[in-house]
This record gives sequence, structure tokens and C-alpha cells, in this order.
Amino acid sequence: MGQWAAAVRVLAAMLPSLLLALWGWLLFWSSWSGRLSLLLREAFHPLVSLAGALLLLLAVLWWLPLGWRRPPALRLRASGAVPWHWVLSAGAAAAVLAFPPAPSFSDLAATRPTALPDGPVLIFHLPPEQRSLTEWVRLLRSQPDPALHDGAPVRISGFVLERAGQPPQLARLLVRCCLADATPAGLDVAWPGGVAPAVNQWLEIDGTMTVKSVAGRQRPVVVPERITPIPRPERPLEP
Amino acid sequence: MAPLSTAWAIFQGLLLEALPFLLLGVAISGLARWLLPQTGWIRLLPRQPFLAPVVGALMGFALPACECGNVPIARRLIASGAPLGTGFGFLFAAPVLNPIVIASTWAAFPDQPWLLIARPCGAFLIALALTFVLRPVPEHALLTDALLEERRLCQPLAQVGLLERRSGMLGASAIEAPLPAPAPARLAPADLLAHSSREFLDLLSLLVVGCAIAASVQTFLPRSWLLAVGEAPTLSILALMLMAVVISVCSSVDAFLALGFAAQVTPGALLAFLLLGPVVDLKLAGLFTVVLKPRAIAITAVAAAMVVLLMGQWVNGLLL
Repeated sequence: MGQWAAAVRVLAAMLPSLLLALWGWLLFWSSWSGRLSLLLREAFHPLVSLAGALLLLLAVLWWLPLGWRRPPALRLRASGAVPWHWVLSAGAAAAVLAFPPAPSFSDLAATRPTALPDGPVLIFHLPPEQRSLTEWVRLLRSQPDPALHDGAPVRISGFVLERAGQPPQLARLLVRCCLADATPAGLDVAWPGGVAPAVNQWLEIDGTMTVKSVAGRQRPVVVPERITPIPRPERPLEP
Repeated sequence: MAPLSTAWAIFQGLLLEALPFLLLGVAISGLARWLLPQTGWIRLLPRQPFLAPVVGALMGFALPACECGNVPIARRLIASGAPLGTGFGFLFAAPVLNPIVIASTWAAFPDQPWLLIARPCGAFLIALALTFVLRPVPEHALLTDALLEERRLCQPLAQVGLLERRSGMLGASAIEAPLPAPAPARLAPADLLAHSSREFLDLLSLLVVGCAIAASVQTFLPRSWLLAVGEAPTLSILALMLMAVVISVCSSVDAFLALGFAAQVTPGALLAFLLLGPVVDLKLAGLFTVVLKPRAIAITAVAAAMVVLLMGQWVNGLLL
């Protein structure tokens, strides 16, 4: 019993440094493993890596004497009392490490507004077949006359987005910060007969941009010539 | 199962995004705690009713921290004998009026420049309003007994009269020799490291809870509900004020959480969320008890809520 109590006291004393190391590793590993690409805008990745490295450094510093006296906080926790919220924090970190994110982009997009955030400057001089899906969507929204692009070649990739009461689109998610502010950018596709795209399936489509009348309005629609299922790209989110 | 996976991913996104900002806030808070001198220059701070809170609020730029790191700094300021107006100005405004929070607000809302102006200005006005609301209340009814005692030890009695201090110390005269101030004691680096690490871990737990609530609300609350609430000017403000109080996430990261609701609510409600949380939330109610007595906390909460509601209404009137 005495040994058990002593072990608990030792663990409680070590807990702050262990927690710092756990969270530091979580941040560092999330950057290293590429998981962040699914969660955050790329501009923030270095910040997360740096924070992870700092936390790991703090965890190491906790144990290095460096000529200092031992921090009294180490002794404060030697009674064996572990704050419940630290346990919660450790559990959350462990869960995040154990269960990687696997969001349903379509599900996420269904609850999001459709207004696109301002993006980088459009590259109009790019040949149409080199424009990404997002660039196409921005271009079509900035130029209301879809007839201007009738017949242009298209080579785009994205996931199948299905909204209630609408035909499936090919879409991408745009983020300014993290997945919480994701905004879908989708293009209508004239799916060939017999093709029933699976929701969230990533596809690459080669085809042409045409104009079709949808609900009495002229809308740009991609007519596919070749549809290729592809794995989710390494960087599925776009700025 | 898909909504659960989506909520889990949003939770991770929010958490990993916010964590570096939280670490930065705590690091600066720790540094400020280490560098804060005990009395010297504090006696030079202005005591005028208007200037004192203005200076306190602007000190947020020199000692930037979210509200969690801010409370111990404000307590140290007041305990060291700083004018109450300065202490309150700092306590209520600095969590927003500081470069880190302004930078995180910009990172989250680069396409809404009005928010970059409205948020710090709003925080400044709230701090002024709260300082004026609390001004008539005597110090002994405002501050906790322990803080009052520390303040008495540090307050220069020769320069501050009894009526001005309103501390309830009957018999203390303006010509009485000042009590010797306690010797400045700067934290040892190891202590600083230990305190800051523990503070970070404490706040991290609150961040985890806040992110979980935000991710759940964003995923499971039907959009039609949010829209129904969000489109009503006053109701949307009240709803987001309530959300700010419940979520209780630090000001250095709350802008990222607000992203999740930004598109569904009125601009006034969005501003109300970003203004009220740093002054009044469930987590702060505990932290504030190291500075203020329960009655003063209640006055602060009610007054802040009213000011924020008015501001939200005004913004909705302008932008809707």
C-alpha cells in the first residue's frame, strides 16, 4: 500500500512534465505526419510545429537542474493530488493521438454557407485545363456570363458533394484558418447515365465546360469525358 | 457516425489551431509576471478618473495576455498600490486590447476589417464603463480581503489620503509616514517555468472543453436553428453572449471559435461574442474571485452584459 502511494506521488510529481511532453509530441507529430493538412490552413503549420517543439523543450527543462533550485511546484503535487482537469487534458491528447481525423467533407459542407472568402489573385492567363476547381468557381462567380467559357477544356479534382434537394457536385473545401471555417466551392457536373458518384469520393474529371439551362437559368456545367477515382490528396484544403 | 467524425475533426482543427496562441499568451503572461516591478513606477501612474483606466487599458500592449494570464497581473498591479482605475482598466480591457489578440482576430477574420477596429474599441469602452460603474463602490466592498491587505501594505499613505483610498482604515492620516514597502521579490527562473507550465496546463483543459462544445454545436445543432436565432438582431446577440459565457475560451483563441458561427449570425452578435467572453465567462468567474468580491463580480457581469448588448445592437443597426 505504501509503495502504491509512493508510486502515485511520484507520478503526480512527474505529471506536469509528462503532460507538456504529451501535448508537445501531439503538436509535433501532427505536423510531421501530415495530419494538419486535413485540419488547418497551410500557413499555420509552422506555428503548430514550433509550439510543439517549445512544449517538448519545456518538458525537458522541467527536469534539468541548470543550476536552478528545484521548482517548488514539483513538490506541490507530491501529495498525490492530481487535478481532474489535467486528467481530462491527458485523455483528450491521448484520444487525439489514437483517433485521427476522418471528416465527411460532404457532411461538413452541408452545414456551411456558400459565400466564398476572398482568395488569392486569379491567374486568368493560365490555360483553362490548368485551372483548379477552386479557380474555376471563383472565375465563374466573378464573371456572371457562363457563355464566355463554353467549350473550354476542364481538368479538375475534388470530392463528391451532395446537398439536400440538389444533384451531386464536385467540390473542394476552402479554409481561412481551420476546418471550423471551411467553405465549400462546388461545380455542377453532368454525370453520365449510369454513373452514381459516391458521396465524399474523390474524383478527377477531364471534360469540357458547357452551359445548360437549370431551373430556367443558364448555368456552367462540366461535361465529363473521363472520370477517374483518386485517393484523397495530401493537401485537400485550399486557401 | 459521419457527423461524429466531422465533429471530431473540427474539434482537432480548433484545438491544434488555438494551442500555439494559448502557449504564446501564457509565455508573455509569465514574462510579464517576472518583469513586473513591485512598486517603483506604479506610483507614477495617473489617478484621474478618466486617465487611470485609459492608461490601464493601454498597458495591455505592453503586457499582452489573454484574460486568464491577465487576472494575476491585474491583481499584482492592484496589490502593488496602483490606482484602482488603472487596475480595472487593465483587468477588463487588456485581454482584448493587446497585440496577440488583435493578431489572432486578424488571422481568423482577414476579410472583415471592421472587426479589427470594433473589437479593441469595444473592449476599451467596456473597460471605461465598468471602471466608472465600480468607482462609487468603496474599496473594502470591491476587493477581496487578502488583496485589500496586500494593497494596504503597498499603498503610499503619504501620497494617497484616506478618502481617496476609501479603504475603510479609520484613523489613517495623510501625513502618516508610509509603511515600508515589501522588498521586491522576482521569481526565480525555475519557479517561473513551473508556474507558467502549470498555468498553461490549467488553461489547456478549459480550451479542450471549449473546443469540444464549439465543435458539437457546429456539427449537431441544425443550421436552421442557428439561422433562426442568428437572423434576429437582438436574439442573435443574446444567444452569442450566452455562448461566450458558457464556452469560456481565452481571448487569444476565441476568434477562431467564432469562425464557426460567424456566417450564421448577425455582425452585432459576432462582436458581442468577441467582446463579452474576455470580461465575463464561467471560467473567469472563478479567476475573478482572487481580485473582486462576489457582489463586485455580479455588478461587473451585469454591467458588461448591458454594454455589450447595446454595442451589438448599434453594430446591427449600422451593418444590417
